[in-house]
Amino acid sequence: MSEIIRRDPRREWIARNRLHPDNAAVLAALGVNRGGGAVSEWMGPNGVVRKDPRAIGFIGPNGVKRIDRSGLQQGGQATATTTAARDSRRTVTIDQPAFLVAVVPDLTGGRLSGHDKDLLGLARRVADADAEQPGAVVAILFGEYKGEGGGELKEQTLGEAGIDRVVHLDDEFYAGFAPEARLAALSAVEREMTPRFWLFPDSPLGGADLGRRLALRLGERAATGVWQVEADNEASLGWRCTARGAAGSLDIQRPLPRVALALAECAEPVDETRHAAEHLTLAASIPTTLSRIEDLGQVAVDPAGVALAEAEFILSGGNGVKQWDAFHHAAKVLGATEGASRVAVDDGFMARDRQVGATGTWVTARVYMAVGISGAIQHLQGIQRCDKVVAINLDPGCDIIKRADLAVIGDSTQILAALVAMVEQQRGGQRDAA
Amino acid sequence: MLETLLPILIFTALALAVIGAVRRIRLWRQGRPSRVNLFKGLVALPRRYLVDLHHVVGRDKMISNTHVATAGGFVAAAVLMILVHGLGIANPLLGGLLLLASASMFVGSLFVARRRLNPPARLSKGPWMRLPKSLMAFSISVFLITLPTVGLLPEGLLEGGSSWLLALVLAGVVAWGLGEMFFGMTWGGPMKHAFAGALHLAFHRRAERFSTKKGGAGRSTGLKALNLEDEAAPLGVEKPADFTWNQLLGFDACVQCGRCEAVCPAFAAGQPLNPKKLIQDMVVGMAGGSDAAYAGSPHPSQGLGGKPVGEHAGSPHGPIVALEGKALVDADTLWSCTTCRACVEECPMMIEHVDAIVDMRRYLTLERGKTPNKGAEVLDNLIATDNPGGFDPGSRLNWAADLNLPLMADLKQVDVLLWLGDGAFDMRNQRTLRALVKVLRAAEVDFAVLGTEERDSGDVARRLGDEATFQSLAKRNIATLAQYRFLQIVTCDPHSFHVLGNEYGELGGHYVVRHHSTFIAELYDAGRLTFAPWKGGSVTYHDPCYLGRYNGEYEAPRNVLKALGIEVKEMERSGYRSRCCGGGGGAPITDIPGKQRIPDMRMNDVKESGAELVAVGCPQCTAMLEGVVDASAEVRDIAELVADALVERSADDVTGASRRTTASTTAEEVIV
Amino acid sequence: MQPDLHQKQQQGIDVAVLVSIGRHPTTGRARRAEQDARGLELALAIEAELPGTRISMLHAGSQDDSSEAALRGYLGMGLESMTLLEQPEGSDAILPLVEHLAATSPQLVITGARAERGEGSGLLPYALAEHLGWPLVNSLASVEKVENGVVTLLQALPRGQRRRLKVRLPAIISVDEAAPVARQSAFGPARRATFAITTTTSEADSELAQWHLSPARKRPKRLKIVKAASARDRFKAAASKSEGKGGQVLTDVSPEQGAEAIYKLLKEEDVLR
Repeated sequence: MSEIIRRDPRREWIARNRLHPDNAAVLAALGVNRGGGAVSEWMGPNGVVRKDPRAIGFIGPNGVKRIDRSGLQQGGQATATTTAARDSRRTVTIDQPAFLVAVVPDLTGGRLSGHDKDLLGLARRVADADAEQPGAVVAILFGEYKGEGGGELKEQTLGEAGIDRVVHLDDEFYAGFAPEARLAALSAVEREMTPRFWLFPDSPLGGADLGRRLALRLGERAATGVWQVEADNEASLGWRCTARGAAGSLDIQRPLPRVALALAECAEPVDETRHAAEHLTLAASIPTTLSRIEDLGQVAVDPAGVALAEAEFILSGGNGVKQWDAFHHAAKVLGATEGASRVAVDDGFMARDRQVGATGTWVTARVYMAVGISGAIQHLQGIQRCDKVVAINLDPGCDIIKRADLAVIGDSTQILAALVAMVEQQRGGQRDAA
Repeated sequence: MLETLLPILIFTALALAVIGAVRRIRLWRQGRPSRVNLFKGLVALPRRYLVDLHHVVGRDKMISNTHVATAGGFVAAAVLMILVHGLGIANPLLGGLLLLASASMFVGSLFVARRRLNPPARLSKGPWMRLPKSLMAFSISVFLITLPTVGLLPEGLLEGGSSWLLALVLAGVVAWGLGEMFFGMTWGGPMKHAFAGALHLAFHRRAERFSTKKGGAGRSTGLKALNLEDEAAPLGVEKPADFTWNQLLGFDACVQCGRCEAVCPAFAAGQPLNPKKLIQDMVVGMAGGSDAAYAGSPHPSQGLGGKPVGEHAGSPHGPIVALEGKALVDADTLWSCTTCRACVEECPMMIEHVDAIVDMRRYLTLERGKTPNKGAEVLDNLIATDNPGGFDPGSRLNWAADLNLPLMADLKQVDVLLWLGDGAFDMRNQRTLRALVKVLRAAEVDFAVLGTEERDSGDVARRLGDEATFQSLAKRNIATLAQYRFLQIVTCDPHSFHVLGNEYGELGGHYVVRHHSTFIAELYDAGRLTFAPWKGGSVTYHDPCYLGRYNGEYEAPRNVLKALGIEVKEMERSGYRSRCCGGGGGAPITDIPGKQRIPDMRMNDVKESGAELVAVGCPQCTAMLEGVVDASAEVRDIAELVADALVERSADDVTGASRRTTASTTAEEVIV
Repeated sequence: MQPDLHQKQQQGIDVAVLVSIGRHPTTGRARRAEQDARGLELALAIEAELPGTRISMLHAGSQDDSSEAALRGYLGMGLESMTLLEQPEGSDAILPLVEHLAATSPQLVITGARAERGEGSGLLPYALAEHLGWPLVNSLASVEKVENGVVTLLQALPRGQRRRLKVRLPAIISVDEAAPVARQSAFGPARRATFAITTTTSEADSELAQWHLSPARKRPKRLKIVKAASARDRFKAAASKSEGKGGQVLTDVSPEQGAEAIYKLLKEEDVLR
């Protein structure tokens, strides 16, 4: 099969138009032709389910047709290359949605977070439950959307996450902490579109706050900490959810209300379809409210003052650190929060509240840099939730090396000095350039 | 002239002394009431002084003899002097005795003077430096004025007109001597210790500490319970007047000899505690004023040097620890104590430092909620999970999942209840517990454990001053134990041992408790254990405070080691002078900084003994000593040493059995 | 509350702290709730900064031994009394609280983000804000100052970052793990403190009663779904080691080379600012 994909605009148009009499047949054909996401079952024009037995399964490496019923893999073609994976997504357009599912992603740092994508996956499940009367997923985006890549690609990311419609509110007064303005906007969306469901990520400082506000404004008793949603005919809206309660110690099963705040991994993110992500604008202007909360902006936080448990970059010193002045200097230049092993604290080089480990503080840093720390079991226990561990040590056999993602064997003082020089040089260079 | 002057001087001094005594007694009576049998105490005083106190003082022979000569001479001389010179009974026999007494006192005072020539750092200076001179003034002047009474000097020598000057000088010296010895005794001079000390012995708050003619253990180390039922009863000690009157009296008995200072592990580690200074601070607080007059070593401050004297002041009804700034004592001082009881053990005046410190801690914890560092967290854990680490109480027996330990809940009645302690959550101590279980099984002991029904004994909570949590834990433990029948409790944790044995009694739990070393020694003596000969290196033994000083068990662990074929290389400080590991009294939790760590010092002691292995009998000691970086010796619990040396008991094949390796016995164990 | 503080009272504010009965995560015993206790700590900090500030502590719930012990846990932080809005177990706490707050009209209401028992949905502060029409700020780290009816706050952002907000009073603020840790609860003050008990009109929470509550199940771990095109790829994905765990070890490198490797990693992780 050739790598070149031949496009047939007419067929693609039919494929996009779900109401076209040949839609299903064309979709099936396209699926086979493009070698991914093949459709082996579809609703025929007379309401009869049609099956294409040839579309089931795939050709194995030896040229034998194989059918995998484990559900792990659906119609993957042996000949399809991984580069084609992106193109294997089925484009879905929902023109006349039966209902709307509104999703308000966090858009942390201007991008859809993993939590957002899981939530959109959940929204898709709810919207697509009835294949005949699919709903559409409306995403309400606040603030700048940076996306991945630029232009076309950026919008494509939204579509690939499962968004049919986008309401993008990028005005300045939505920036920062502006719950009142955002709530007013959501209320306007409610008035205009009246989505069947409102879904929020239950993440602090994002959906958790806004979702609860909206629920109370709508007079709904929101389900919070939702981690599982199942179809349930007895429930008023057709769904039942399982939510965490009582500080995570309880599972509450209840009918899914209109407003739900879901945890990360509440559903699988969308990965087989691409949606239109069509931009909408609200017809009515949103009334501006007089805010009683004024955002004065982010405060510069001294990394040295950040609590160890919260710090994202920790420079930690142990028995092997010989020159503490140089160590403190390095922490300052790198902008790292200082930590220490028990021995360093016992020896009085560091304060007790800087001790990392099972008997000190359990840390969650993105980068944990252990200087002259051999890695006692209690210490390793305390850093098990760190993403990346960098170790500088003289002894290549010590335990921290086994844990480290990057270990440099050598004299810590010299290595730190070199690192400091490098960072200072880079910063200096940037300043010169600017 | 002297004949008229002397009675006036003597009786003036006596009158002043009585006034002073009344004033002093009123100071003590500021304290809270405490029920003491005054008459019985006074009757017991001579024995307490001559026997119990002498045991302690006698540890330093030189000072002991000096004190016998000086104090004995003084008491005799004072009485005779009142008779001879005060009442004018010029009996030559009495005069002769008086000469003898004053001479003995003079000889004693020479030794006192010699000690003061180049005094060690632990001794207080100040007024104490003039004491030998005052003693000499008293003894010489009494000697001289008595000479005419016995006729060794002509009666008229001091009467003549020419010698009035001599008489006047002599009268002056007599006045000096009387001033120091009589007046100073009750008005706060160094001699105060004689007056307060005698009454302190008589009205001591722990009468059980003293031996009786019938014998008596002479040991009373359990803390006294607070009455929590009575909501009006104060919780601990906020101000000096909150101590009981006999505690205040006890503080006044201090002779500032600094023996406590010399043995205090916190002081040696440079933590801000000096037991002697603390007691003197209490004396200052009782009378009101600042500590500026204190003339001994101060509380060390962080790092080197000491906290300057004169910055702290207090009054009987002012707070001891200030909410902000400084009062009489800094909170750090109280939290530095490891409750190792070395000071109490050493104190020749039998002052109860640890009781006082815990009383003050109780106030800080129960009323102010100011347990430092991890203290609050540990106490919260004890309340919520019944163990200081905050572990799931249901996982208390997880370490023994493969051991199939018999549970009290199933058996209801056994010989030995094995109390595991909180070490059951600690991976290091689980090795000790496994070893102990192996030993018990080898000796075919009928035992069981409480399993998840067991709770923390309350030791840490109580030492941190949280009496409420202690009593809650203790009462629930007592209720659990009351459901079962057992002959004795065996534990490898001396802290649980002490609390169960000595402190539950007051709350209604009376048990026979044994430390595992004691129990193993008994098993060995009964021939129920056989050991392979020791093949390891040299071994020393570290006495846990709560086993040794608190419960007097010094011999059993050594007997066990001897039975193992180990010759113990004693450290310089062992037995009742053993140095604390730093793990008691919640000290690792409150974690007051000093210039070095206590366990480091103890491992240094081990190193100096030259031993390659230090045997211990306490999970706290194990944890503290094993936490020392670059230690020269290995740390093993006695139970582990015993378990490793076990050989299968076999009457007909003793030689074969002794050759068996420990590995084979382990295999045997697995089959069991 | 003494008359001689009258002068100072002018600058103080009325703070209401809402507390709930907590639940220890491993043993499930009643205790002071972690977040609510931090809320009270925040109130006590305001009181220390702003003399004359009056703290009133509120709890809506039933009165029994275990909940009393938990409530005394808060009182032991240094309060003389608290108000208990008594209502039967399983009642909705929002209405009585709204009524009480509307009647007493404090300037600042502090709550924890969510309860450790029951539904624990964290909706309560929002419900109060909606009913009372007051602004609400969540995830508070500290209160910087209170001046002329405006409070300046620091809101916690992830990774120890902070955002400064100005809020007009009266307002509701909720605290979570970023607020300062609550002080130790002392036994003596806890035992002496008194309860002012008010019976309230209460409605049973009928909706909650219909839900199915069970101890939390462990959530299934998300499996890494292998989108392999061929059987060979799938086999390889299943058989290969899950992401080589062992990190890179640089031996015999010059300090500069080592530093460069570290620098690269720090850049990649974007922790250098």
